[in-house]
Amino acid sequence: MSAAAPVAPVAPSGPPPLDLVGRSGVGPREASAWSPRQILVTNLRAIRGRAYPRWRGLFREKSWVAFEILLPFLSTSAFVFVYRSLHAPEAYVGFVVLGGVMSAFWINVIWMMANQLWWEKSQGNLELYFAAPMDFMSILFGMALGGMVMSSSRALSILVIATVVFGVSFSVSSWVLVILVFASTLAALYGVGMVLASLFLVWGREAWHLGQMLTEPVYFVAGLNFPVARLGLLGALSVGIIPLATGLDAMRQLVFAGAPFPIGTPAPEIELAILVAMAVLSTALARWMLAVMERRARRDGRLTIRWQ
Amino acid sequence: MAVTAASVTAGGRRPGAIGGSPGEGGSRLGGIARAFWTSVRIGWRMEANWTDPLLFFIYSVAKPVSAALILVVMLSIVAGPAAANLRPFVVIGTALWSLVTSGISGLAWSILDDRERYRMLKYIYVSPADFVVVLLGRGVARLGVGAAGTIITIVIGILVLGVPFDLGRIDWPVLVLATLFGLTSVVALALLLAAICLQTRQESWSYPEAFAGAAFLVSGAVFPLTVLPAPVQVLGLVTPLGWWIEAARRAFLPDAPSGIGGAGSYLASINGGAVPSAAECLLALIVTGAVATLAAAVVFRFSVRRAQERGLLDLTTGS
Repeated sequence: MSAAAPVAPVAPSGPPPLDLVGRSGVGPREASAWSPRQILVTNLRAIRGRAYPRWRGLFREKSWVAFEILLPFLSTSAFVFVYRSLHAPEAYVGFVVLGGVMSAFWINVIWMMANQLWWEKSQGNLELYFAAPMDFMSILFGMALGGMVMSSSRALSILVIATVVFGVSFSVSSWVLVILVFASTLAALYGVGMVLASLFLVWGREAWHLGQMLTEPVYFVAGLNFPVARLGLLGALSVGIIPLATGLDAMRQLVFAGAPFPIGTPAPEIELAILVAMAVLSTALARWMLAVMERRARRDGRLTIRWQ
Repeated sequence: MAVTAASVTAGGRRPGAIGGSPGEGGSRLGGIARAFWTSVRIGWRMEANWTDPLLFFIYSVAKPVSAALILVVMLSIVAGPAAANLRPFVVIGTALWSLVTSGISGLAWSILDDRERYRMLKYIYVSPADFVVVLLGRGVARLGVGAAGTIITIVIGILVLGVPFDLGRIDWPVLVLATLFGLTSVVALALLLAAICLQTRQESWSYPEAFAGAAFLVSGAVFPLTVLPAPVQVLGLVTPLGWWIEAARRAFLPDAPSGIGGAGSYLASINGGAVPSAAECLLALIVTGAVATLAAAVVFRFSVRRAQERGLLDLTTGS
C-alpha cells in the first residue's frame, strides 16, 4: 500500500483577489493600509448597514401601524380637543399638530439614538462595533438616518391625518425657509441624539430614567403644544439650547404666518442660524465625546459589562 | 432553552399556570402571596436601586408635573385669567393619569425587560411561582412610582397652581372606593397590553405609552368628552378610566365640572341631562372595570398559550 502523496498548495496566479471595497488579500500589513476610497466605502456601507434594520423594520411588524401611527395620532388629538374645548383660535390646533409631528422625531432621538448605545451594550453588540474596521460615527449616522426614515413615516402620517381630520390650514410665508429650518432641525436633533448616546452609555441605568426626563419636561420647556414665547426667559433659554424648541418656533412662525399668538422669539432666519450652529456643534461634540468614551471604556474595561 | 406547551414542572403543573408553589409545601394562597411580594420587591429594586432616593424621586415626578404644566400653560394662553377656574379640573385629571401611564407600562415593560434585556422570562415562566402573579408584582412596583408622581402633582397643584383643597370636603369613601376599583381597572388594562407585548417584538417599548395616550383622548381627564363626536364619547363611556377619574374628581371637588356628562354630552342624551352622581360613577366604574378585567384575563390566557406554542417566551428580537 503506498501512502498518498501530499497535495502541494496551488500558487495563486495573477494579481491577489480584491474584495468589494478593494482590500488586498496579500497579508495583514498590506490589508491594513487602506486608501481613502476604501475607508470611505467601508464607512458608507456601515451607515447603510446600521440604517437598514430601522427602515426594513417598518414593514416587518404589522402592529407597528396601530401603535406607532394611529395611537400617537389619537394622543395628539387629545391636545387638539383641549384647545377646542376652550374655543381657542384654529391656529392653535395647527400648533398641536405641528408639535405632534416634531415629537415623533424627538421620541426617536431619545429612545432610538440616545438610549441605543447603552442598549447595544446590554445586547452585547457594542464591542463588535468597536472591533469593526470603521469609524464609530458611521454607526451613529446610520442610526440617525434609519431613525429619520422611521420617524418621518410616523410624522407624515400624523401630519396628513390630523390636517384632514381637523381641517388645519397652513399659511406658509416661505417654503424655502421652511425646508431649510426643517432639515436643520433634524440635523440638530440627531446631533444632540449622538451626544446623548455617548453620555447615556456612561450613565448606564440612569439613561432609562433620563430618557423619561427628556420627554414631557422637554415638551413643556420647548413649547410643544403652545408658543414657547409664553414661557418668557425659560422659553428664550429653550430656543437657545433645545433644537426642538428652536425648530418648532421657527416653523410655527413660517407656516402659520399672521396667526395671533405670542411672539417674542427671534425671527425664523436667526433661528435657522441657531439650528445650523447647533447641528455643527453637536456633531463635533459627539465625535469628541465618542473618542473620550471609547478611550475610557477601553481603559476601564467596561465595554462588555452589561445591565449596569 | 425553548419553552413550549410540552414543558411541565416537576410538580406536574404546567409552567405559568395558576397555582401555588408546589415544591415548597405551604398553602396555595401562601405561595401566591410569597411570589407576589417577592416580585414587588424585585420590581422596586430594579426601578430604584441604581441611585440615591432624591434623584430617583426627581426622575419619578418630573414627568407628571411637566404634563400638568403643559396643560396649565395651554389653559392660560387661551382662557387668560378665567383659566384659574379650570386648573383644578386639569391638574387632578393629569395627576391621576400618571397612575394610568405607569400602571399600564409596568406590566408590559416587565415582559419586555425580562424577555429582551435580562432574558429571564423563560426562567420566570417555568419557576414554581405563578406567571401572572409575578407580572402583577412587577407592575405594582411601577404603579408605586406613578403614585409618587400623582401625589406630588396634586401637592404642586394645591401649593402653586391654586387648586382648592379642604380635607373636610373630600368624600373619603368615594375616593377610597374609586381608587381601589380604578387601580384594579388600570392593572387589567396593563395585563391586556402585556398580553400584546408577549406577541410582538422589541419595538413594543413604546406601545404602552401609545395606548395610554390614545385612552387619554376618551377619558375626559383634561377636557370634557362633550367636545368629542358621539361615537367617540361612547368609547369613553365603556372604558373604566373615565368613570374612575370622574369619581375621584367628584370626591376631591364636588363642584367641579363633569368630564363625561353634563349638557351637550352623549351621556346627557341617555340620562336626561343630569351630571352623574359619585355613586353612579362608582357603579359604572365597577361594571366597566369588571368587563375589562374579564377581557384582560381571557386575552392574557390566550396570549400565553400562543406564546408557548410558538416559542415566543424565549424569543429575543433585538434590532
